[in-house]
Amino acid sequence: MNDIVIETRGLTKKYGEQISVSNLSLHVRKGRIYGLLGRNGAGKTTTMRMLLGLTTPSSGEVEIFGKPLRGNEKKILPRIGSLIESPGFYPNLTGTENLLIFATLRGLKNPKYVKNALEVVNLPYRDKKLFSQYSLGMKQRLAIALSVMHNPELLILDEPINGLDPIGIAEMRAFIRELCDAAGKTILISSHILSEISLLADDIGIIDHGILLEEESLSELEEKNGKYIHFLVSDAAMAANLLRSRLGIRNVRTENAHELTVRDRQLDIGAAVRLFVEAGLSVSDAHLYENTLEDYFKQVTGGEGIA
Amino acid sequence: MPRLLRCEFAKLKRKPLFFAAATVSALIPLGCALFLPEMREFASGAEAVDRLMSTLFQMSAYLLLMPALVVLASTLLFEEQDNDTLKNLMTVPVSKPALALTKMALLFLFAIAFMAVGGLVNLGIVLASGWEPVGFWKLFWVGIGQGIMMWAGALPCVLLVVLLNRSYIISVIITFFYTVVNYIFGTNDFFIMQPFGINPGTLLPGPLTFRWFFQYLDSSGSGGQMAEMLERISPYFVTTPQAFLVVVLEAAVFLSLIALVYKRQNS
Repeated sequence: MNDIVIETRGLTKKYGEQISVSNLSLHVRKGRIYGLLGRNGAGKTTTMRMLLGLTTPSSGEVEIFGKPLRGNEKKILPRIGSLIESPGFYPNLTGTENLLIFATLRGLKNPKYVKNALEVVNLPYRDKKLFSQYSLGMKQRLAIALSVMHNPELLILDEPINGLDPIGIAEMRAFIRELCDAAGKTILISSHILSEISLLADDIGIIDHGILLEEESLSELEEKNGKYIHFLVSDAAMAANLLRSRLGIRNVRTENAHELTVRDRQLDIGAAVRLFVEAGLSVSDAHLYENTLEDYFKQVTGGEGIA
Repeated sequence: MPRLLRCEFAKLKRKPLFFAAATVSALIPLGCALFLPEMREFASGAEAVDRLMSTLFQMSAYLLLMPALVVLASTLLFEEQDNDTLKNLMTVPVSKPALALTKMALLFLFAIAFMAVGGLVNLGIVLASGWEPVGFWKLFWVGIGQGIMMWAGALPCVLLVVLLNRSYIISVIITFFYTVVNYIFGTNDFFIMQPFGINPGTLLPGPLTFRWFFQYLDSSGSGGQMAEMLERISPYFVTTPQAFLVVVLEAAVFLSLIALVYKRQNS
């Protein structure tokens, strides 16, 4: 499995009695954007912190670039760029001065690294504005610049569009997409904004209450999640039996005494209605529905939707 | 470590506290020279140097350098948490112990700078008064040595501040208490008249420093009280190797503990 860049096995983090992340097994493939989707407090940030060695797992393993993170931090971390939670910089320094500090620590002697990083996020080089005077959007851009400055192979970005205006969000989305498509970076991105993940990610992991509920590619998800047919009939159980026995449909679920749903793209609605009527059932409604990702999220998490 | 130290210096930009603290070392010598008549009436250049440097050793170092070191340590150690930059450093990766030790190294340089500035101000006063600075450079280096001893002496207090994590008010209270106790112990016969060994007179920075630097001051021109004191405590003077052996051992122990505690916090 050489194309797996990040793999976790049974990753768990407990704070006292509270379980923040439970038995998480994550797989991020090379050259793809993995969207970790979950509500606020679902365990996204804790997971990312454990992937970067910022938080020690209570149990489980993290493997990055095929090596265990523990004990290989000095080899693995320089190959990663990250943005975790809010942007953290020295308020008494300018954006350039802040980046120069981290460039020095990373051994990047040429100032072009800092200049290029600022350029890609549309921040001026050698500007006199102090970080403390930056707007939230500028702070976020600087944090992105820091994460890409050393040209890492893997990016771990926790809610990177926080604080950006709509244009900034679109620019950031295009930038992240380009990093993956043109530069071949592997990107793990977290968000509680479902639309962002669906627009950006190739693979999606849905996390809720610290548990990774689903992990699939967006295309698989769309395939699996796409369409279903809803029937309102006089006897749902009888109708379900008819579909199974006469039409060979397996994916039938009775919702209650009168409603049933069929998740089978092959089903001809007209044939099904005819079958029901011939069997003496009355059919009040037959409707083709298309699930949105939000519907799917609700279904998977068994709760409320997400932004 | 050199890269980290360079970055620690870069972080000080537009932070007046650090530089203000270093210039404070000029306050006591200047104040004494300007406002105390006896500090302008010397019999010779050697006496002028001796009296002014004695003020630096006994007042500035004990009452200004020690608290400045602890306050600056708390500022430096908590700045990463306050600015949320620790995560950026750790993902470089920079280890927390290396970071804590670099900050202590910065304080070490500060202590030397503090004593050097104080010494050079004294030299300026002596020269401005028209005296020849006889014996200045010997005492200048003693001052640098005392700065190093004060730095090592401040480490237990820094450890306490790190252990209490983030409470600036408590840090200031501890610093004040530690400074006062250190000063009192450093001038108390019970502590300074102890043989070299495992006892408070050797292990506490106040008495140890006093037992080391006092032998370098020239008391020949002083009154009977001073001569009597010198006679009383001279058997308890510690040699430079003895003094710095204690400093090195104490620094090794407390730096290790500071690094350990800093590492364990917020992980």
